[in-house]
Amino acid sequence: MMTITFALLVAAFVLRLLDLPRAAAVSLSLSAAFTIGLFLWEIYSPDDGFRMPWLQVELRHAAAAPGHA
Amino acid sequence: MRGLRLDPSTVVMLDRLSLLLLTVIVSAVLTAAMVMQFVFAEIPCPLCLLQRVAMFGCCFGLFHQLRTQESERGTGVALLFALLLLVIAARQTLLDVVPRPGHAYIGSAVFGVHMPVWSVAIGVSLLLALALRLALFGAPRIRPQTALPPLARAARILEVYVVVICAINFAAVVLQCGFDECHTFGYRLLT
Repeated sequence: MMTITFALLVAAFVLRLLDLPRAAAVSLSLSAAFTIGLFLWEIYSPDDGFRMPWLQVELRHAAAAPGHA
Repeated sequence: MRGLRLDPSTVVMLDRLSLLLLTVIVSAVLTAAMVMQFVFAEIPCPLCLLQRVAMFGCCFGLFHQLRTQESERGTGVALLFALLLLVIAARQTLLDVVPRPGHAYIGSAVFGVHMPVWSVAIGVSLLLALALRLALFGAPRIRPQTALPPLARAARILEVYVVVICAINFAAVVLQCGFDECHTFGYRLLT
């Protein structure tokens, strides 16, 4: 997938240099679509999904302290 | 305010210069990333590679804007890729922000700041710079190719340079990942 993403990116630049802007735009769009797909695939975890539970505030401390809602 | 009014050709020149400067900065960042990879043997992670794709996309948009005079489409493309860079870099920064087993920032820190955090700063700076360019110069509509041949020539040389480093990155990705998942252990096709 990553190889295809970079191949499309190089193709976009080369097509742009050859004055083929439409083909370059298509190639760049496909590369961007692959990038987004790869990004989502990379950050997805079978346990947490797209969440980041390690960033959650530990509410038990706040609950234990008097005067906190 | 009357004293601040510049003639249209000066505005065009400043506009094109700002675009060229932005492109030089982004290509310098990409070159630095390649130096880290090939000189200091720091193999990029998959999210790092995706950030490079976003930076190359920014360059593409900026080159398009440097060449064209009818629209601001190139700026739009650069803005989209800057946003993509920011999202990927912010997610990677948050992924490793809490030290725990199996999670640490990859690669060495530059001036005490790790690569994904630098990427966040670069993404924000790109968005800010492109917004400032539109706010200050207001997308001038004079033919830049005919008016400023030295700038157009410099942009062309820079474009060829970016294409070359993009091709080198592609070759490195082929060696690192092949047609499979990317890892930071080594170059898949060389081991």
